[in-house]
Amino acid sequence: MAAETMVRMGEFACSAVAGQVLVSLGLGSCIGLALLDKRAAVAGLAHVVLPAAEGRTGSPGKFADTAVEALIAELVGLGARRIALEAVLVGGASMFKLGGGSGMEVGQRNDEAVRAELARLRIPVAATDTGGSRGRTIRVTVGSQAVTSRAAGDQEVALYPRIPAGVAA
Amino acid sequence: MSTLNDLQLDALRELANIGSGTASTALSSMLGRAVDISVPTAQALPFADAVDAVGPAEKLVTGVVIGVVGDMEATVLLLLGERDAATLCGLLGVDPDDELAPSALGEIGNIVGASYINALGAMTGLEMEPEPPQSATDMLGAIVASVLAGRAAGDDIALVLDSDLKVEGEDCAISFLLVPTAGGVQELLTRLGLGD
Repeated sequence: MAAETMVRMGEFACSAVAGQVLVSLGLGSCIGLALLDKRAAVAGLAHVVLPAAEGRTGSPGKFADTAVEALIAELVGLGARRIALEAVLVGGASMFKLGGGSGMEVGQRNDEAVRAELARLRIPVAATDTGGSRGRTIRVTVGSQAVTSRAAGDQEVALYPRIPAGVAA
Repeated sequence: MSTLNDLQLDALRELANIGSGTASTALSSMLGRAVDISVPTAQALPFADAVDAVGPAEKLVTGVVIGVVGDMEATVLLLLGERDAATLCGLLGVDPDDELAPSALGEIGNIVGASYINALGAMTGLEMEPEPPQSATDMLGAIVASVLAGRAAGDDIALVLDSDLKVEGEDCAISFLLVPTAGGVQELLTRLGLGD
């Protein structure tokens, strides 16, 4: 099995090496955001922690409002076509209610912020497994462009690519 | 709080030591068993490293989260492996698969966590109030990351004070984490005469 590249809290990684696997383990309120070229073997994964940087510094992968552009720039640099990019979102769970009832949970706010940023940059969302209260792991395999999600204590579920209707596997 | 010196980390470790000592006494009287504590570790780590430091990200654990409000804001997190949770339920006379099990574990967390928080408050003269406990059984990484994202949101560095409680004669350990906000750490250090 090919070595897996861990994409930890706030980090992001892109690859054009077929067979390479990008992984974020144990996403809670964080979002695992995969961007994939639907025709070429280029893919990226960001482990988004918070909705907005709000002047804070840190890895661009950490915030929804910086992660999407950072992924696009690096993917295009690796040969992806911007117009062929699609997104898959995993995570954004509400495991605990923290922060003294200041309205929406971090997980939900992350989910909405990532979607808003994708809409602003006109990247279609192809599949999601977000919300709820359970932690998840996302795996992105470069080449096959396969994205899977696995919730705690569950089987891995294939999210992408979608099999076109009428095409035999 | 991007940098804490050795003296500051030592002082925080000592706080955690006294806090977990008090917590172990509470747990011991609840279970009627002796409870050992380990020497705590105090680490100021970037988020990603903090998650790694706690354990394997996909390990299934039960986490009991207790928010702390008042002069110092923080989160206390108790972590139990699947077997530890089952053993603890057994010691309390609750079937681990019973629907009461999570609330029994939450109650342990409440008592142990509150005694930890009260000890810290007594030592530092800070007003600290524990919130009701919440528990979840899930991936370790997801639990720890959610606590860090929810609490230490303003900073890239998380202070993690980690100590273990071990029930004597049983294969049962509770890992104990205190995750203060950046402001909370400064408040603690100031009270100890070690502020910046």
